[in-house]
Amino acid sequence: MTSLSEWGSRGRRAALSLVAAFAFGASLPGVAGEENARSWREVPMPPGFQVIVSELEGPVFADADGRTLYEWPQHVLRNGYSGEAPGTPGCYDEPTTVTAGLMSPYPAGIPLPELDTRPACTDLWPPVLAEEDAEPVGEWTILERRDGALQWAYEEQPLYTSARDRRPGDVLGGTRRRYQRDDPAYRVPVGPPPALPPGFAVKATSVGRMLTTASNDAVYAYAEDDAEASACRGACLQRWAPVTAPALAAAQGDWTLLERSPGVRQWVFRGQPLYTHRLDRHSWSQQGSDVPGWSNVFLQPAPAWPAGFTVQATLAGNVLADREGRTIYVYYCADDSADQLACDHPVDTQVYRLAMCGGGDPQRCLAHWPYVLAGEGQESPNRTWTIVTIDPRTGRFAADDAPGALRVWAYRDRPVYTFGGDERPGDVAGGGTGEWRGMRNGLRAFWLRDDYMQGIL
Amino acid sequence: MQRTRALASALLLAAGGAAAEAPPGGEVGYVFTDLFWSVYQTGDASECPQGFNDGPREQFAALYPEPARLDVATTQLAQEIATWHPTTEPEGFPFYTVEGPYAYGLDLDGKTSPDDFEHPDGTPGIDNAVYRAVGCIIGFRGPDGVEHIFQSKAIKDEAYNRMMINLTGVDSLADDDSVTVTVYRGRDELLTDATGENIMPGGTQRVDRRWGEPLIRETSGRIEGGILTTEPIGELVIPWQNLQVPSIHRIRDARFELRLDSTGAEGLLAGYADVDTWYYQLIRNDSTHHLANGQISAISLYKALRRLADAHPDPGSGENTAISTALDVRMTQVYIVDEASQAASP
Repeated sequence: MTSLSEWGSRGRRAALSLVAAFAFGASLPGVAGEENARSWREVPMPPGFQVIVSELEGPVFADADGRTLYEWPQHVLRNGYSGEAPGTPGCYDEPTTVTAGLMSPYPAGIPLPELDTRPACTDLWPPVLAEEDAEPVGEWTILERRDGALQWAYEEQPLYTSARDRRPGDVLGGTRRRYQRDDPAYRVPVGPPPALPPGFAVKATSVGRMLTTASNDAVYAYAEDDAEASACRGACLQRWAPVTAPALAAAQGDWTLLERSPGVRQWVFRGQPLYTHRLDRHSWSQQGSDVPGWSNVFLQPAPAWPAGFTVQATLAGNVLADREGRTIYVYYCADDSADQLACDHPVDTQVYRLAMCGGGDPQRCLAHWPYVLAGEGQESPNRTWTIVTIDPRTGRFAADDAPGALRVWAYRDRPVYTFGGDERPGDVAGGGTGEWRGMRNGLRAFWLRDDYMQGIL
Repeated sequence: MQRTRALASALLLAAGGAAAEAPPGGEVGYVFTDLFWSVYQTGDASECPQGFNDGPREQFAALYPEPARLDVATTQLAQEIATWHPTTEPEGFPFYTVEGPYAYGLDLDGKTSPDDFEHPDGTPGIDNAVYRAVGCIIGFRGPDGVEHIFQSKAIKDEAYNRMMINLTGVDSLADDDSVTVTVYRGRDELLTDATGENIMPGGTQRVDRRWGEPLIRETSGRIEGGILTTEPIGELVIPWQNLQVPSIHRIRDARFELRLDSTGAEGLLAGYADVDTWYYQLIRNDSTHHLANGQISAISLYKALRRLADAHPDPGSGENTAISTALDVRMTQVYIVDEASQAASP
């Protein structure tokens, strides 16, 4: 296995020792533990690849150097398609120079900004190359790129690493969180399937990897239950439906069975009998968690947010907020090129962000969308919520001692903001600001609970 | 008023003499099933003698005939900047406002001024400056305008938008000189017939006290000849979501005028909309793509809204911050249940 990047060259030399260091099923310090070690299904992998449990995305495939692997699935946007069809690499080393016309109503063919420094697709997404004698294994196959190089694919999707990832376990290039038609064609981390019985699924959300039924109904546990007995009987069952197991289902790993009555068996996950909530109005609901004693079930909770951050109720659910109750916003951006390159990170072009937050004026950005400053003495609680130093005049990373630099909170390595137009806790007046309702070049609130948006977490 | 009566005639006929009877317990609830800016339209669009306004697509083509010679920042992003950071500065495009004499709406200020409309039934002094601004924009005209389509669907599909009113102390749906009107948000899906399309009376809605407490308002009203008229509500907040962006409108001095019967209500909700809230709701819920489909230039419309704003001057600048408006509203009878507040999730 090789890679185009310099890191890849270094990594190739160190591959053997790193494979030993990141043994299959390895977990990052402070992330995993035994629960995560059982949380995915082992799949055959070619030599030199591994599974790493990231604190946000759970188990992901990584190369020998620990770099997370991504795919770029084809995605239907309003005006056309982007991403890669199965078996067809589409990310190459010639920088795209004009728009693709995917940002209706604007036409295709407009020169992109900052062409002199614009990276090629492969600068940001080095393909995971295969040696000439590499052999397909299981769902891992080998594709031929148009220059004749061989590239690994998983389930026929070409594989890449991300220039944004700096350390093993980083998953900063993309997320498995749900995206929809008006979102860009995102890169998505690839990993082994979760170890679930048939009939269950996992959804990546802002609050963790949520366990659901295969039809996306939220799954709940009751504090009065244990693995051997359910306290929800009689009238309780009018509101809660036990998730029943078929006759031939067998206990395995985290999953056991509880016989509620002769012939009626209920799934139990990590010692918690599972239910759905009959009054839930939509998929991935948290409404049942309003009932005392009941809670959603997660394979892996999201990493803790910074100390002092708060949760605020809005008209639509809960949002994450700063110490004063001001809603936290995240900036999202991918450009209108065929490559769909991200523009949401401080090392990306800032042209798009500055346009949205301040009409191109950094000072107006600071007034409309101030950074969330980290308090003196505060430290990053994990690798998802970090403190970064930003030059507010440019929006780019700065040295810690640079004059005028700000020490600000970042989520997934991207600074977060509050909105000057929010007047009181629970306001989300800034949500949806920007192109495509904040989905392609704009800001969205950091939702922690969604009762009305049908799975936006 | 005449239109209210005409539109509700079918309901009234169906209800027969039931309206004269007191509802059970002196209480009746209604849930919103249609809500959209009231636009008086003639068959030949004579209210828009200069035609309809251009939208983002047309304006972009006019501004940048050869965008390939420019770049994203000076074309596409420049238009987005003008949308998200709007100004009242003049632009190079004409903006066609409604020039006809008629509009639906209410006389909000008790005066008749040159900027007012006349109701088609002859009532003078109708205040509806939002109509003047949007009436010649295709996207706001029914039944095919993009805003009209989206909102008509969202008001039914999105529980976030589930506004309702509860009338208590009702002696008769035909005549009662004092009733209490409480505005709530409901939590539940609408009751429909087997097609799933037609909203049926007799459903149940739980009051949303989990998230919707800030939306609750109370006012008084009277019923005369089957028509409810309420006293103004200082500020009514209307949840207004489509395409998964929860937004609001703020209507100051809001009042209802509704034809009531035992199965539904229909009429107007009128008041003064906060201009900035109105504008940002539009562009947050609909991207430039969606606006383009309705030939809605947000950039041009903002200037018109500011120019036509007619109430609540800012104490500092003296500029009006609110604009008179009316919304067509249709409601279906529901049984409103106000459960005890539920505990917040951890």
